[in-house]
Amino acid sequence: MIILPYGDNALLINLDQRIDEVINAQVIALDEAIRHLPGVTFTIPAYCSLTVGFDTELTTFDTLKEHIGTLNISGGKPEAAKVVYHIPVCYEAPYAPDMEAVTEFTGLATEEIIAQHTAAPFRVFMIGFIAGFAYLGSLPKALYCPRRTDPRRLVEEGAVGLAGYQTGIYPTNAPGGWQLIGKTPVATFRPDNEVPALLKPGDYVQFKSISQEEYISIEEEIKEGTFEPEVSYG
Amino acid sequence: MAEKIRLHFVKPGLQTTIQDQGRVGYQGMGVPVNGAMDKASARTANYLVGNDENGPVLEITLLGPGIRIEGEGQIAITGGNLSPKVNGESVDMYETLDVEDGDMISFGRPVTGCRSYLAVRGDWQVTPWLGSCSASATKASELTPQSVIQKEQVLEIEYEELIPPLAIDEEEQPELTALNIIRVLPGPEFSLISNLTIGDFFSRDFKVSNDSNRMGYKLEGKLAHFESAREVISSGVIPGTIQVTNAGQPIVLMADAQSSGGYTRLVNVVTEDLDKLAQMKPGDVLRFRLVSL
Repeated sequence: MIILPYGDNALLINLDQRIDEVINAQVIALDEAIRHLPGVTFTIPAYCSLTVGFDTELTTFDTLKEHIGTLNISGGKPEAAKVVYHIPVCYEAPYAPDMEAVTEFTGLATEEIIAQHTAAPFRVFMIGFIAGFAYLGSLPKALYCPRRTDPRRLVEEGAVGLAGYQTGIYPTNAPGGWQLIGKTPVATFRPDNEVPALLKPGDYVQFKSISQEEYISIEEEIKEGTFEPEVSYG
Repeated sequence: MAEKIRLHFVKPGLQTTIQDQGRVGYQGMGVPVNGAMDKASARTANYLVGNDENGPVLEITLLGPGIRIEGEGQIAITGGNLSPKVNGESVDMYETLDVEDGDMISFGRPVTGCRSYLAVRGDWQVTPWLGSCSASATKASELTPQSVIQKEQVLEIEYEELIPPLAIDEEEQPELTALNIIRVLPGPEFSLISNLTIGDFFSRDFKVSNDSNRMGYKLEGKLAHFESAREVISSGVIPGTIQVTNAGQPIVLMADAQSSGGYTRLVNVVTEDLDKLAQMKPGDVLRFRLVSL
């Protein structure tokens, strides 16, 4: 663990710089131990680092560094009980503008891509890029594909994309370069909630393939307020 | 007394938004800090009308709005000098001004700086989101509906008892020039970058490019011999972080910057100097000086 000054009112904790569930669990454990310390104004947990902002009138870099050094997170292991959000995704043509490009790049048939994308839960490593955007991973090697060379000016809310070994859901309309293979009717960013982001680092997402008819009927239920994604533990 | 002062926007200006000191604490959810670009000037404007210094003000960019006042009250204008006028007559900045029913506030030629701050005495009737009235960088029309000023918009401010007028002496006002020395601290990846590149960064002038906004300032020119030491796995970034893209392009992250990124974080601007940067506009020239804490 390396603790670096980061500007005059933040510090950066770098763990081993790898994308790894154990290291990410240590980031989350550190975040929980640090975010409520006196003088801490914000934290940004990422894959293998934690940014910690502080109010220089209330604390100092040295005080925080010393305190953080005493925290024992070496035993960090992936959460004992996984929180798994079951997110329905329609992978059919109107919602999957890059499916063809992904089949070409990976050499896999559409059915195989869907099978691999829905085979097991993916971990939320971090939230970033735009409000509520969860970086999910890691994808099986066979699904690896690069970002689009020409990013779209507008990707619609709910679009599900691939980039490298990562997958994610666009929480709002935004520009973006991920390869879009499906779309979910579920809102992952809820601005009226006290905690607007549905997902948080350490959660898991299990995608579930649905038909266009199911997509439309879930969309209706969401409008009526009668649909919430299933959450399981374990 | 529940009287109101109303600001009728006859024209919105180039980019006029409501900003306060921002929404700190939500970056972990991907929500940018937002808030006034020049935070000190926003605070000073509120001080001059007796408001909470952390409360909302109008941030006015280069070409100002036209505002008709309904009711009466007090205003103050700070920051960049965009030739403010009331009823066509130039008015002083950095002091409390009385305005009356029917008064027209307008702006003219930008003289110094890039952003003016207009405070109005009273309680602003705007809906906060996540503890801040600042315009959200995304979905502003839904999340902070009044915060991006539109033509014919009306902004209501609950009247509060007027205060004895205040003023800031000229020598205590920030000095705005088109050539600035910006102090920076070494960033997380500083030690991984070659001396040649670092020497280049500190020995030359940079021009603020046209591709600059509230999210970030792209600087003209690429750094010599820049080699990204290794791939940076997405990690937190904050306003003031100077990122260098893999092509050697430096970008200074500002108030609306996203909360994470994967580029080399070379240096961080000293917080106080971010206000100075906020007053720089495309074409202005700056130079960096390395300092230590």
